[in-house]
Amino acid sequence: MVRDEIPPKDQESAVARVLVIPVLLTAAVTVGTASLVTESARIPLICYGVAATVVVAWYARALHRRAAAARAVHEGYARRIARLERRLTEQDEATVRLGKELMPVAVHRLRQGESPAEVMRAVVDGDERYRGLPDAQRSLLLSVLDLADDEDAMRESAQRAFVNIARRVQAIVHQQASELRAMEEAHGRNPEVFDDLLRIDHGTALIGRLADSITVLGKARPSRQWPKPVPLFSVLRGAMSRILEYQRVDLHSIAKVAVVGTAVEPLIHACAELLDNATRYSPPQTRVHVTAVEVQTGIAIEIEDGGVSLSEEARRRAERMLAQAQLGLGLKDLGDTPRLGMAVVGRLCQMHNLQVSLRQSAYGGVRAVLIVPHDIITTGPAPGIAHGIGAAALPRAADDLPTKDVLRPANRKPRPVTGPRRTVPLPAGMDDDVPVVTEWTENGLPQRRSRGRAPLGSHNLGAARYGAGSSSSEWQGGSSDVGHRGDTRGPTAAGGPAAGSVNGHASAGPDRLNGNETGRVRGPDHGDGTAAGTTGPVPPGAGSMTGAGFQAPDGRPGPGIWLEAFTKAVNGTPHEPSTGTPSTGTGEVAGQPGDQGDSDDTWGKGDLK
Amino acid sequence: MTPPPHPRRERRSPEIPDTEAADPERLYVITGGPDGTERAPLDLVTMIVAREPASPTVPPEQAAIVRLCRAPLSVAEISAYLSLPFSVVTALLTELLATELVESRAPIVRAALPDRSLLEAVMHGLQKL
Repeated sequence: MVRDEIPPKDQESAVARVLVIPVLLTAAVTVGTASLVTESARIPLICYGVAATVVVAWYARALHRRAAAARAVHEGYARRIARLERRLTEQDEATVRLGKELMPVAVHRLRQGESPAEVMRAVVDGDERYRGLPDAQRSLLLSVLDLADDEDAMRESAQRAFVNIARRVQAIVHQQASELRAMEEAHGRNPEVFDDLLRIDHGTALIGRLADSITVLGKARPSRQWPKPVPLFSVLRGAMSRILEYQRVDLHSIAKVAVVGTAVEPLIHACAELLDNATRYSPPQTRVHVTAVEVQTGIAIEIEDGGVSLSEEARRRAERMLAQAQLGLGLKDLGDTPRLGMAVVGRLCQMHNLQVSLRQSAYGGVRAVLIVPHDIITTGPAPGIAHGIGAAALPRAADDLPTKDVLRPANRKPRPVTGPRRTVPLPAGMDDDVPVVTEWTENGLPQRRSRGRAPLGSHNLGAARYGAGSSSSEWQGGSSDVGHRGDTRGPTAAGGPAAGSVNGHASAGPDRLNGNETGRVRGPDHGDGTAAGTTGPVPPGAGSMTGAGFQAPDGRPGPGIWLEAFTKAVNGTPHEPSTGTPSTGTGEVAGQPGDQGDSDDTWGKGDLK
Repeated sequence: MTPPPHPRRERRSPEIPDTEAADPERLYVITGGPDGTERAPLDLVTMIVAREPASPTVPPEQAAIVRLCRAPLSVAEISAYLSLPFSVVTALLTELLATELVESRAPIVRAALPDRSLLEAVMHGLQKL
């Protein structure tokens, strides 16, 4: 608002104009009056007139001069105001710049982990626009950064404390879970105790999930590690086992893939949270359906409930929660009544590249879709598809197993026949139905398969055929165990360390009956079956190969022998030593490698698919 | 009332981490929960045999039982093969029995068998003939 300066010439003329009018007026009045008055009065009149004119002129000039001076002062003030205003504007701009540009950049760099001094160096001194920043602003910026830094450190330490406590809880929960598992196995035969243990186990799993949630929100990695790939089915059931109402969850058509070890725990946790949401916000009598299908980008796990529909507003809130969590959500954002679920899912998705979306279900409820990317999915062999089978069906460690030759089940004396003898040879049609022992596990357990469904009651025939060789040895334990190197009584005395291990397994005796570590049946390793089958057993006395196998329909062993052996083993009845009957072969049928090779659909293998 | 320490648990303890690493799912998920499960009267020596092949919708453990039991198998053996406690197996078998995928066959009761002394008496009598 600078005033226009009046140009000097105009100023002069204005002075002249101002001066001329009163002077001329006074002069004219003087002249006019002098012409009217008498001669005698004319001289003094003229004198007065001239004096008046001079006085008027002088006053006019003085007036004008003062006006000019006033104007000058005015202009000086105006310039000063203008200058001050300009400085004010600059100041404003500097403040705005400090607030809107400098401070965010500095705080951002601080969040990236730089110290306040580093940030000052980089942001202020490193940028020529800000190099001349006044000291006051500089110190302001520094103190703000210091404050933010302090607050960050405080929040981080609080978070660390949370995570630390959660980790301890997790450790206790894991410990307790494994102890409970051992107890469940120990008390597996007592249904009441067992059910109570299951209940405690369930509660422990719920505590564990809560602790896991805190860990995830604390931006820590999950504590649990899974060294090997886990089938998706097991992952989903693991997720089920961590929610309250797992009975309401139905798994349908789960894709037969496995999840790589590092992603197992996050996936279990994310699925558990989604399942928990689904079961929690749907009526208790409805079911929650879970499917997992392959899609272009990976595996889509759909969790669909029949609950109340998610209103558009609620859905947006949930998605906002997810998005917020993906951006990075602190514990402070959770509020008084924390809804951990979505936050945890969002956080896990962000950490492991999962995608989650909530949609309206066709049933009216919510359908949560979790997309698991390809890179954490493997189609390679995973240890089984389900719980116990997964734990047991594969060789625990293929390299520390005894060799196949050692693994061959021990030769066995036939036990005295107790049942009715069968005199008529088997009809040809029934032959096929008899299960054939084709493989032996590393523990000496037989693995059977039958070509067809065994009719009820035919088990006695089948049992008699291989029973003497396989199962009876298992269940009779050490009392009747025969080392395959000709040692008839002492299982541990069998020569060779490997043989010892075989016998050691077999001789566990009756206490194996409810133990779960028996029956580590080897699954897919079908090469063993053929290799084992070709070698004949060694009878204890003779030391010569009989190699006959017990498939020959000689009908010597009668039915019921296996069952009796088993019953004895269960009841702990000492087995009377067999009475010198020549041994029958116990090995498998030799010379069927092709058959074993292609038709091995034993359950261990089938589970891998 | 402290139960005596179970010898088997002591023996198992070094293996626990291994077992733990292999299964994320807990046993109650497999049995369908401890509540309200009526268990069929099954014994360790009850023989189980499959009636028909399992459909794909059957849970894997039950499918495994059905596959195993193509030849008759005792409950104890199933439990050992599957590495599952006896109670879990009975719960699974109860469901399978309800859906008629398997049938159970009571073992020969020992008491129902003739007494040994009776058999000996018969034998002696026969020898005297």
